[in-house]
Amino acid sequence: MENRPLEYDYSVAKMFMFTTIILGIVGMLIGVILAFQLAFPGVNLILGESLAEYTNFSRLRPLHTDAVIFGFTLSGIFATWYYVGQRVLKVSMAESKFLMALGKIHFWLYLVVVAVVVVSLLAGVTSSKEYAEFEWPIDIAVVVVWVTFGMSIFGLIGIRREKSLYISIWYYIATFLGIAMLYLFNNMAIPTMLGTSAAGESGIGAWYHSVSMYAGTNDALVQWWYGHNAVAFGFTVPIVAMIYYFLPKESGQAIYSYKLSLLSFWGLMFVYLWAGGHHLLYSTVPDWMQTMGSIFSIILILPSWGSAINMLLTMKGEWQQVAASPLIKFMVLGSTFYMFSTLEGPIQAIKSVNAIAHFTDWIVGHVHDGVLGWVGFMIMAALYHMAPRVFKREIYSKSLMAAQFWIQTLGVVLYFTSMWIAGITQGMMWRAHDEFGNLAYSFIDTVTVLHPYYTIRGVGGLLYLVGFLMFAYNIYKTMSARPVEERELQNSSPMGA
Amino acid sequence: MFHWLEKHPFFFAVGVFVTIAFAGLIEILPNFAQQSRPVIGTAPYSTLELAGRHVYIKNSCNACHSQLVRPFKSETDRYGHYSLSGEYAYDRPFLWGSKRTGPDLMRVGNYRTTDWHENHMKDPASVVPGSIMPAYRWMFANSADIETAFAEQLTIAQFFSVPYNQPVPMRDGSSAVVKMGGSVSDAKALALEEAKAVAADMKDQDVKDAVARGEIPEIVALIAYLNSLK
Amino acid sequence: MVDIAQLQAYGYFTLTILLVIALYGYIYHLYSTKKDADGVDYESYSDMALKDDLGDTPVLPRSDDKEK
Repeated sequence: MENRPLEYDYSVAKMFMFTTIILGIVGMLIGVILAFQLAFPGVNLILGESLAEYTNFSRLRPLHTDAVIFGFTLSGIFATWYYVGQRVLKVSMAESKFLMALGKIHFWLYLVVVAVVVVSLLAGVTSSKEYAEFEWPIDIAVVVVWVTFGMSIFGLIGIRREKSLYISIWYYIATFLGIAMLYLFNNMAIPTMLGTSAAGESGIGAWYHSVSMYAGTNDALVQWWYGHNAVAFGFTVPIVAMIYYFLPKESGQAIYSYKLSLLSFWGLMFVYLWAGGHHLLYSTVPDWMQTMGSIFSIILILPSWGSAINMLLTMKGEWQQVAASPLIKFMVLGSTFYMFSTLEGPIQAIKSVNAIAHFTDWIVGHVHDGVLGWVGFMIMAALYHMAPRVFKREIYSKSLMAAQFWIQTLGVVLYFTSMWIAGITQGMMWRAHDEFGNLAYSFIDTVTVLHPYYTIRGVGGLLYLVGFLMFAYNIYKTMSARPVEERELQNSSPMGA
Repeated sequence: MFHWLEKHPFFFAVGVFVTIAFAGLIEILPNFAQQSRPVIGTAPYSTLELAGRHVYIKNSCNACHSQLVRPFKSETDRYGHYSLSGEYAYDRPFLWGSKRTGPDLMRVGNYRTTDWHENHMKDPASVVPGSIMPAYRWMFANSADIETAFAEQLTIAQFFSVPYNQPVPMRDGSSAVVKMGGSVSDAKALALEEAKAVAADMKDQDVKDAVARGEIPEIVALIAYLNSLK
Repeated sequence: MVDIAQLQAYGYFTLTILLVIALYGYIYHLYSTKKDADGVDYESYSDMALKDDLGDTPVLPRSDDKEK
C-alpha cells in the first residue's frame, strides 16, 4: 500500500456513470414512446389491451420526467461530483475509508429508491405534483440519499488540500442546499393513516397515501417555487458546475475570467429563486408575485449569460479545437443551447407572450432544448472526458462520437422547431375569434392541426435516442480499447479512430 | 464574495442558503391565510368525489388537462367564468396542470354529462373524432378505493378543519351539508348511495351490476368527481 | 396616511437601489483590486481545474491550523 503512489479513486464515479447511461436510455426511450403516442394514439396499446393501464400516456409521463431528472441527470451529477470533487480539492477518496463507504452506501441507496419509484409510478401511486410525484415513504428515502450526498460533499471538503473551493464546488454545494430546501418544503404532507373516524378506527385505506399541507393557490405557489427551482438546481446549477471543470480541462485553457464566475454565481443564487412565479401568470396567485416572477425572469438572463459567455470566451483563440474535437463540440454547443434557452425562458415569462405560450407545446419545446441541448450534451461530454481517465483507456471511436454529435444536434433542432410551431399555432388558434366575436375553432381543431409537428417531434426525439445509444456503445467499447499512459490524459482526451 | 467565503466552506454554505432562501421568505410566506378562504358556493368533496379525484390523480389526467381558466375572453367563452382563488380552497393537491393537450376541466361539470363521460372514457375518438386521448377501459373494471378517500376526509377534517357535516353557504343563499361517515362501513354506504345515482345514468351493464352488488368501479367515482367540477 | 402598500413600495425602492450599489461596488472591487485577501490573483485560481493531479502543488495550500 505504502509503495504505490496515491491515486484518485473513481470507483463510486464509475458506478454512477453506469446508472447515468442506463437511466438515460430508460428515460429517453419512454420519452420517444410518449412522443409517438401523441402523434399516433394507437401506440398507447403497444403491449396490448391487457397492459394498457401501464403503457398509457398518462401513466408513463411522470416516469419519463422523473427518469430524466432524477435518473439520468442526477446520476450524472453524482458521477461527476465523485470525479471532479476529488480532483479540484486535490484529495483522493482512497484517503478516507469513511468517505469511500459513504459513497458506496450513497450509490446503493439511490439505486433502491430508483427501483421503488419506477414501481410506484407505474402503479399510479403519485401525489400529482410535477417532479415531486413520490409519496411520503419514498420522500423520506430520498431525504436519506440526499443527506448521504451532502455528507460526502462536506466530508471531502473537510480533508481537502486546496484551501480555496473551485467554482464547480460552489455550484455542487448550491445544488445540494437548493434541492434540499425545495424538496422538503414542497413535499410537506400529512399521511392519511393518521385520520381517525368517529367510531375510533384509524390507519384506514392505503398506508402510503398522504394529503398536501397546502391547499389550492398556496399549493400551486409552493409547487412552482419548487418546480421552477428544481430546474434551477437540477438542470442549471450542477451542469454549470460540470462545464466550469470539464471545458477548461479538456481544452487546456484557463477559464476566461474567474472574477466573472464569482459575479455570475452570486447573481444566479440571488435571482433564480424569485422567478418561480412565471409559471403562474394569469392564475389566481396575487398579481405582485406574478409581476415579480416576470421581472426576475428577465434579470435572470444576466447571470446565466455571465456563465455562458465565460465558457465561450474560454475558447478564445482556440476555436480550431472545436473543429478538431467532437468532445469540445458537445460542450460548446451545450453552452450555446444554454444561452439560447436562458433567453427563450425569459421571453416566455413576459406576461403577454405567456398568455399565448402557457399550456402549449412551446413550453415543452423550451424544456427540451434546455435538457437535450444543454443538460444532455454536457453530461455526455463529461462522461466522455471521464471515461479515459476512469478506465485508463482511450475513447473507442472518435468518428462514432462525431456522428453521434451531428445526429443528436439534428434531433434537438427538429424537436424544438416543431414544438415552437406547434405551440404558437395552438396558442393562436385557442384565442382566435371570428367576425362576430365567437370562438373560431373548437378545441379538437387545435389538436388535429398538430399532428405533423408531433410526428416531427417524435422523429427528433428518436434521433436523439439513437445518438444516446451510440454514446452508450462508445463508452462500453472504451472499456476494452487501447490502454493509455498517464501523460496522454493531461488535457484533451485520447480517442481512437 | 470577496473570496473569503470561497475558502470557508461552512460560511460559504450559510451564505448560499441565506441568498436562496431570501426569495422564498418574501414571496411564499405572506398571503397564505388569506388565499385559502373558500368562496361562497365552494363545498368540500364527498367521499365518492374524492375517490374519483384519486382516480384522476392516479392516471395523471393533470398531465394533459388543466383546471385553471385564465381571465381572457377566449378562455371564458370556451370554459366558463375565470378561476377564483377561493374555489380551490379544498384542493389538496391543486390540479391546475401545466399543459393543455386536452381542454381545461375546471368547469367540465357544467357542460358534460355522465353519459358523455362514459362513452368518452371507453373510446374517446368515437365521441370526439380526431381525439388523441387514449381509452381508459380498465377504469370500468378496477374498483375505486373508498377507504383511502374516507381516510383523507378524516385527515383534512382533523388537521385543516375542512367543514364536513356542517352547513356550507351556497350561492343562492341556501346552505348545503357534505356528509362524512362516522365509520368505514358508514362511509362506504354513503359512497354507494352516490354511486347508484351516477350508475343510473350509465349504460355499461357490468358497471351497473357491480354497483348493484355494492362495488364501486373507478369510472363511477371519476364521473362523480368530474360532474362536481363546476 | 402611510399604509402598508406605500411602505412596501418604499422598501422595494430602497432595496433595489442598495442592490444596484452593492452589485456595482462588488464589480468595481473585483476588477480594481485584482488580488484577494491572501494576495493571490483571482485569475490564478483557475489553475485549480487545470493542475488537478494529486502531485500538483495547490494554488493556495490549506494550512493545517485553525479553520475547519
